[in-house]
Amino acid sequence: MSMQSSISHYSDQIKQAVVDKQLLQIAGNQSKVPLYEDAQLLSIADHTGIVSYDPAELVVTVKAGTKLSDLSAALAENNQMLGFEPPEYGDSTIGGTYACALTGPSRPFRGGLRDFVLGTQLIDGQGREMRFGGKMLKNVAGYDVSRMLCGSKGSLALVTELSLKVLPLLEEQTYSIPMPEGEAILLMNKMQGTSLPLTGCAYFEGKFYYRVAGEHPTQDNRVEVTACSNDVWKTLNPFQPKLAEGEKLWRLDVESTNPAIENTIAVGMGGTRRWVASKNKPNHPYVTLWQSRFAPRNNDKPCVQRIKAGLKDVFDPHHIFKDL
Amino acid sequence: MDVIQALEEALNKNCILSSEEACRPYECDGLSAYRQKPLAVALPEDVEQVKQVLRICKAHNTPVITRGSGTGLAGGTLPLENSVILGLSKLNKILQIDPLQRTAIVQPGVRNIQVSDAAAKYGLYYAPDPSSQVACSIGGNVAENSGGVHCLKYGLTVHNVTSLTVLDMDGEIIRFDEKDDGIDLLALLNGSEGLLGVIVEIKLKLIPKPEAAQLVMAAFNSVKACADAVTSVLKQGIVPAGLEMMDKFSIQAAEDFAKVGYPVEAAALLLCEVDGSHDQVKVDAQRVADILTQNGAYEIRVSQNEKERIELWQGRKNAFPAVGRYSPDYYCMDGTIPRSKLAYVLDEIDKLSEKYGLKVANVFHAGDGNLHPLILYDANKPGELEETEKFGQEILKLCVDVGGTITGEHGVGVEKLDSMCHQYPQAELEIFHGIKNVFDSSGLLNPGKAIPTLHRCAELGHMHVHNNQLPHPELERF
Repeated sequence: MSMQSSISHYSDQIKQAVVDKQLLQIAGNQSKVPLYEDAQLLSIADHTGIVSYDPAELVVTVKAGTKLSDLSAALAENNQMLGFEPPEYGDSTIGGTYACALTGPSRPFRGGLRDFVLGTQLIDGQGREMRFGGKMLKNVAGYDVSRMLCGSKGSLALVTELSLKVLPLLEEQTYSIPMPEGEAILLMNKMQGTSLPLTGCAYFEGKFYYRVAGEHPTQDNRVEVTACSNDVWKTLNPFQPKLAEGEKLWRLDVESTNPAIENTIAVGMGGTRRWVASKNKPNHPYVTLWQSRFAPRNNDKPCVQRIKAGLKDVFDPHHIFKDL
Repeated sequence: MDVIQALEEALNKNCILSSEEACRPYECDGLSAYRQKPLAVALPEDVEQVKQVLRICKAHNTPVITRGSGTGLAGGTLPLENSVILGLSKLNKILQIDPLQRTAIVQPGVRNIQVSDAAAKYGLYYAPDPSSQVACSIGGNVAENSGGVHCLKYGLTVHNVTSLTVLDMDGEIIRFDEKDDGIDLLALLNGSEGLLGVIVEIKLKLIPKPEAAQLVMAAFNSVKACADAVTSVLKQGIVPAGLEMMDKFSIQAAEDFAKVGYPVEAAALLLCEVDGSHDQVKVDAQRVADILTQNGAYEIRVSQNEKERIELWQGRKNAFPAVGRYSPDYYCMDGTIPRSKLAYVLDEIDKLSEKYGLKVANVFHAGDGNLHPLILYDANKPGELEETEKFGQEILKLCVDVGGTITGEHGVGVEKLDSMCHQYPQAELEIFHGIKNVFDSSGLLNPGKAIPTLHRCAELGHMHVHNNQLPHPELERF
């Protein structure tokens, strides 16, 4: 299907859903969110391919159904990469990654997914095609709808195309030091305040891991430091640990200096992310239940709930996109 | 009781200005071509007083225009005749610097440079550095999503704000944090030009000061060769901390003014700064110099120490006032374009310059495609400002036509409302109005800025009427 015809096909499906009062669930390759029975599938999985890519512009424009693996491979051919290191849950698409606002270990250093979004093409809940933002690294014309929709999980609009900033592919080296969790949290914060070109800081299975990019001073002046493979970052991103019977995996977003939290099995993103395995929900303001499937947090204050509900009405006045 | 009396009663008398003379300094921001005296100026001393101002203005149905240092270049804080200016300059405290967490919590009236100054003793700084950083306030930076010379590598304001506390028109406090789930409202508030809420507290990311920085200056015989060289640097995996380009006129003006030894005969000058660890900078500076030479630079200078680096920047940093000496007035534009279109766009600007009979100097952030053409004019000559504005709009239209945008870092304000009609079709504008309505249903926060009315765009001829039928006839337009 040509791009234009497939866009009108999506637009028609949405307009029909309005007429039929049919709830639609937008999905790509369904690697992250299950299909719900009360909604009809609106699949973006076939809408794939790179629309434009000029390495010297540091910008790629890609259709939302494109697999992360295909996109990363195309960028790697030009020694470039997605700076936010998206997690791969199995044929994950760039659209789904954007919808869930997923970012890897480099977030504190290079920024999260939202920091790389420049523009979107989308279809709203009335079937209207629109473009927000653009392909420029700097653009402050109008409200930043493209970045705002990051994390909206398909609840406001069908995003069909994304323009993203890309970065040069870097050579990276990982090091590890065995130490207790509390000490590791302190050390990773101290190191992030130095000019060492870090791109990852984590604590996992008794070791503090850190990753350095490009030319950097020798690390053997630290006690017990070992150079190791970069694979640990793949283990932590996506983090899918084996849990004991009855335990659940919780994702906590905290300040980087937050002291060690009970039942933590991994610390990521320079200390700002804590993975907790426990039966009960940890008592913390920013907790998400993170089984292999994603669950919403739903703990917004009433004023924020009101804003989000208002935005839902603006983008999807007939409420045909399923809220996830 | 009128709104001024109510404000005077609620706040200290010295926090409310209403006389002709006292209001005069607030009649414009950095875009002084547009002026309007406000009804009054409120200068609250704490968040509680900001709340009171908002509640009183809401009760009196009086528009509120929030203002920081007033350095904006697009008329974003231009008063309305019946409006109150809410000046936040007294909310100027750095509330906390956490060196271990590398964050600063500040009030909106804090000047940009003060954050870096306060963080310097910990070896940290706040990265976004608009050229006006000595004067501009952080609140305004957030409202405009300000950029600067270093944003190719270190990002805009939106990339460096981790939390915002905002008051809505009812005076209710709302907090937006990067840790929030779902829709990214924090991103939406950045660059919203004071239309969605009044920012009263900001948490900023601080980063370590780079160990070293080196500046490579390169002179070219043609603009195209210079533009191609920029492309080569980026293609070969180097992300410079700054990448600035100047045309012949700007080089001459800057050299004449700052006397830093720029090659005045060059058609284009490139300033490329690399920063990071000592080891990395050494490697990168040499690579940049090699790439630029291979791409036709006929003269290269690499700063050998900090003094030389700062000196070489002086010409570029003073380029605007330097060009200003050649003309009574100048008008600074702000569009962005894909780098591949640089030579073409500069050529077209030259043609427009001839058409309007107005001289243009080009200084721009070549790394991110952000152009700042300076149009020289004389406001005392009847009609010349109007011609200049038309010229400026044609430049912005050109930017959109080659795939760029009408503003990279100055914002829309009142200046680019017409150009917004060129960049965004009606459906998108309707969404923008919808967003505004969600946050501020009273429409009292900075009305008439940033987002053009559908009426305005229709008058400019961008509403397409098909078969004599208006789209969405239910909307009130004329």
